Amino acid sequence: MSVPLSQMWTVASYVLGQRLRGRRRYPLVLMLEPLFRCNLACAGCGKIQYPGHLLRRHLTVEQALAAVEECGAPMVSIPGGEPLMYPDIGRLVQELVARKKYVYLCTNAILLKEKLDAGLFTPSTYLSFSIHMDGLREEHDEAVCRDGVFDVAVEAIREALRRGFRVTTNTTLFDGANPLRMREFFDAMMDLGVEGMMVSPGYSYSKAPDQEHFLRRQRAHELFRTMLANPKKRWRFNQSPIFLQFLMGKHDFECTPWGNPTYNLFGWQRPCYLLQEGYAASFKELLETTRWDDYGKRSGNPKCRDCMVHCGYEPTAVNYTFGSWRGFRDSVVATVTGRL
Amino acid sequence: MPEEISLEGWAPAIGVEATLDEVVDRAFDYRGDVTVVMTSGRELAGYVYNRDRHVAQPYVQMFDAAGASHTFPYSEIRAIRFTGKDTAAGQSYEAWLRRKAEAGSRPEA
Repeated sequence: MSVPLSQMWTVASYVLGQRLRGRRRYPLVLMLEPLFRCNLACAGCGKIQYPGHLLRRHLTVEQALAAVEECGAPMVSIPGGEPLMYPDIGRLVQELVARKKYVYLCTNAILLKEKLDAGLFTPSTYLSFSIHMDGLREEHDEAVCRDGVFDVAVEAIREALRRGFRVTTNTTLFDGANPLRMREFFDAMMDLGVEGMMVSPGYSYSKAPDQEHFLRRQRAHELFRTMLANPKKRWRFNQSPIFLQFLMGKHDFECTPWGNPTYNLFGWQRPCYLLQEGYAASFKELLETTRWDDYGKRSGNPKCRDCMVHCGYEPTAVNYTFGSWRGFRDSVVATVTGRL
Repeated sequence: MPEEISLEGWAPAIGVEATLDEVVDRAFDYRGDVTVVMTSGRELAGYVYNRDRHVAQPYVQMFDAAGASHTFPYSEIRAIRFTGKDTAAGQSYEAWLRRKAEAGSRPEA
């Protein structure tokens, strides 16, 4: 685990506080989508297919901050769209950091160097650039459907690290991913000096162009078991080791769809970051009126059957850690020994 | 995998080709603008971003091209026409691979 101690402490005390209050459903990470516009059109992405008048719109900083306050999650992930195309991204991040929210700015990094040069951001423990990297050069450029993006991202990572920023990577894996190449990729990211890596299987968005290459559950377990077998000591993951063990098939978890709620131009997305089945006007309404029993593996909902994505299962892993002595012990052992 | 048939240009007769609930759900799922014809005869073009039929008065919400949000009950809908471009259509991974092969190198996305 590569998460700073202060962040671990904040999350641990937040989760324990929620449990002590007897809250059954509480958010861990707010997925804040300030816009849908992007400068890439990746084959596995179902987030950006909208008419032009919607792609030109975005949340105001005030709307975004109101959502952050209302939600109360200690961490805020800013995906999109491409958040560096959001005209007020500097001010939004500054406001979130001032509120001591741990911010993961999820970017393809095409614009990162330009924004760093413009002085838009200041290094902080609360801010991490989470760079989209779906593998080594060949795999990444293939995944984002454009040549040269890997090299641009690597340069941006170097520049951000040089300037003292926290930098992590986020990687989505699809069917056909080569576990040995992924191990090389982990080495390459560690060589670059990133703080930690996040990995997750992709979700089969109904609107994503590439429907054939999403991982089904069993194949996902096999891939992650091979890829993460005997993990190198030098590999650092910026996510729960229990979630990684879940990906390897070592835990049978149920989804926690309210754990990473999503807010965007349309409101609070039901039921989760991946499925778009409607919107609530407030976070309270989302929690109280979403028919949660209709979602998750055990619900039998075919849209949830093969999903193992971090936004639903990482909160489950965190709950497991703080929900029992066994879970806590498993997490501590995995964190200390690096064994998965 | 064959590409999904787009609903672009579809103008279903409500109650004949599909129920109102079905047409509203299709409009909600559609990644393009639609034109809603109200029982008053007024027409409203825009993107249907939300609907809820599990409440006392089922409603639809849409953004028009100027960015204004509109909320109206199902009971005021006479027809929905799928008039805008389907932004999810024709962008398949296979199509990209074909373009890539034709160009001899990876095309810009």
